[in-house]
Amino acid sequence: MSNEETCCTGNKLALTYGALLLRLWLAVRAIQTGLEKYAGAKASDEAVKIDGAVNEYGLTAAGSVKHYATVNYHGVPDALMKKFEAEPLMLKGALPLYDKFLGPALIVLGVTILLGVASRTSLFFLGLLYISLTWGLILIKQDDGVSWLGVHMILVVMALALAEHNRFALLKKW
Amino acid sequence: MNPPPSPISRRDFLSKTMATAGAGLVLGAPSILRAASVDGASTEQVKVALIGVGKQGRVLFEAMKNIPGLHFQAVCDIWKYNRENAVRSVEAHQNSKPTAYSDIDELLANEKGLDAVVIATPDFWHSPHTVKCLEAGLNVYCEKMMSNTIDGARAMVRAMEKSGKLCQIGHQRRSNPRYRYTLDKLINGNKICGQITNINAQWNRAVNSSQDIAFNKKLTIEDAILNKYGFADMNQFMNWRTFRALSGGPISDLGAHQIDIFGWFLGVPPKSVFASGGHSYFKKREHFDNVMAIFDFDTPAGEVRASYQVLTTTSYGGGFWESFMGTEGSIKISEIAANSAIYREGSAPSWDDYVDRGILKRTPAPPKPPPSADAVASYASAAPETFDLPGGFNKPAHQPHLENFFNSVRGKTTLNCNARHAFESEAPIYWVNPSALKCQPIEFTAEHLSL
Repeated sequence: MSNEETCCTGNKLALTYGALLLRLWLAVRAIQTGLEKYAGAKASDEAVKIDGAVNEYGLTAAGSVKHYATVNYHGVPDALMKKFEAEPLMLKGALPLYDKFLGPALIVLGVTILLGVASRTSLFFLGLLYISLTWGLILIKQDDGVSWLGVHMILVVMALALAEHNRFALLKKW
Repeated sequence: MNPPPSPISRRDFLSKTMATAGAGLVLGAPSILRAASVDGASTEQVKVALIGVGKQGRVLFEAMKNIPGLHFQAVCDIWKYNRENAVRSVEAHQNSKPTAYSDIDELLANEKGLDAVVIATPDFWHSPHTVKCLEAGLNVYCEKMMSNTIDGARAMVRAMEKSGKLCQIGHQRRSNPRYRYTLDKLINGNKICGQITNINAQWNRAVNSSQDIAFNKKLTIEDAILNKYGFADMNQFMNWRTFRALSGGPISDLGAHQIDIFGWFLGVPPKSVFASGGHSYFKKREHFDNVMAIFDFDTPAGEVRASYQVLTTTSYGGGFWESFMGTEGSIKISEIAANSAIYREGSAPSWDDYVDRGILKRTPAPPKPPPSADAVASYASAAPETFDLPGGFNKPAHQPHLENFFNSVRGKTTLNCNARHAFESEAPIYWVNPSALKCQPIEFTAEHLSL
């Protein structure tokens, strides 16, 4: 085996690992961000006892536990929602729709990227989603958030650039 | 004090529903009907209309969603945006659309079989809306402050007592288990404060939380509609809390919740108020943005001085809380449990027994600060031991007060804060701004505080 061949084989393996790592990172990031939109805090139901008897005031043990449920779902956090609603460029009907689909869209795109289902198209749509989030944050002057999303966009573009090295995909087309 | 108005009794309920069944009528019939609750137990359905479904209306609705047996029959708001949001939220909750109205008179004329209304309109509409609904034979839950004027509040008490209907005012701390426990068990029951000599309370709100509320110009309400309902323009509609003709300003908007606790816990009204206020930052606002008030109380146990400050420029100082300080201990309580603590004076008898019985919970002592050259040790008191309430509660802040209201409507209990209770605690608050404006103390007479 020549030096050139060794070099290219090694490079290909590194590029494949790179593609896989990026794919995993972007998938985890999208899926968990989507799932967190279903997260809420559930306070303890355990009644406090005073003099050995359940108290008559309804006091319960302090503390809460995090739990996931569809009733907790908030696509766009309430605090941001109010700011977006006040933005003249924001389409009136689009915001509730966006709020409704943001979480599920992140989860679906995360899963397709994780499983390698139409990876390139999934990455493209994930990029579009991040652009939409960026636009919203520009409107309300959240520059830190815009920068974070800029980093995400770089990773999406890198993943697309490494698409030819993507392995273990369920649906390679698209 | 007059007895509280009679709630709907079980006997009334049974006789009315039987009569309804016999006649085969539905519309116009008494509407408290059996409904299955979440836990499967039977409860009586209460038909509710929501009057004012803006920000506070939404807070109340979110709390009411957890209360079994409520049917939201109608919503009313002059702003289409709020109305449509409320219709969507109610429909999502109960799988049926409420009827939407822009005018309360239309709602009252058309909606049959209502049991109760929940009013969360701007302060200057509370009294007219409450009086209308009571006169229409409905039970009313109305947000505090009762009114922007003391005469408006007086009219609400009179209407409640004349109609015989229930009128709960939204001082939600009155139903908060932590506050009720503190008063009954700690202050009155075990007298852990000893003699209360001083009360101190505040609501320090950050400047960015106190800015005018912006709005999407596309959603602006027509001027003719705004004018009809007492608003000069959309800005005034969104920011009515900052206008003197429409509200009492921060001292009533924020302070009323906490000053209410002073009189409730002490069991007597104050004898005077001396206030200072000004436009420290929001120069163009009609209301003061920074108010301090001192109330003097004569209680059976002795004199109490209570200071209150509301500040809309700075959050430093722990947000909002009330502190009751006595010879043996102090209780700092807040709607936010994390802002609460109980302190034992070094000279007070041991509280170990309270801890053993579960009445109090001991909290870890803060780390002792290192010796400092700039402090004279002999001047400082020993740090008090720190305790906490034995528990919290696991519901939205307004839910217990709304539960108390709806349980009263069902005849199962009595109101924790009917209009008369609320008037007794709110009456002194109406004199804070006049005292601050004149820079003079006001000694209360019957004319100031009575109906």
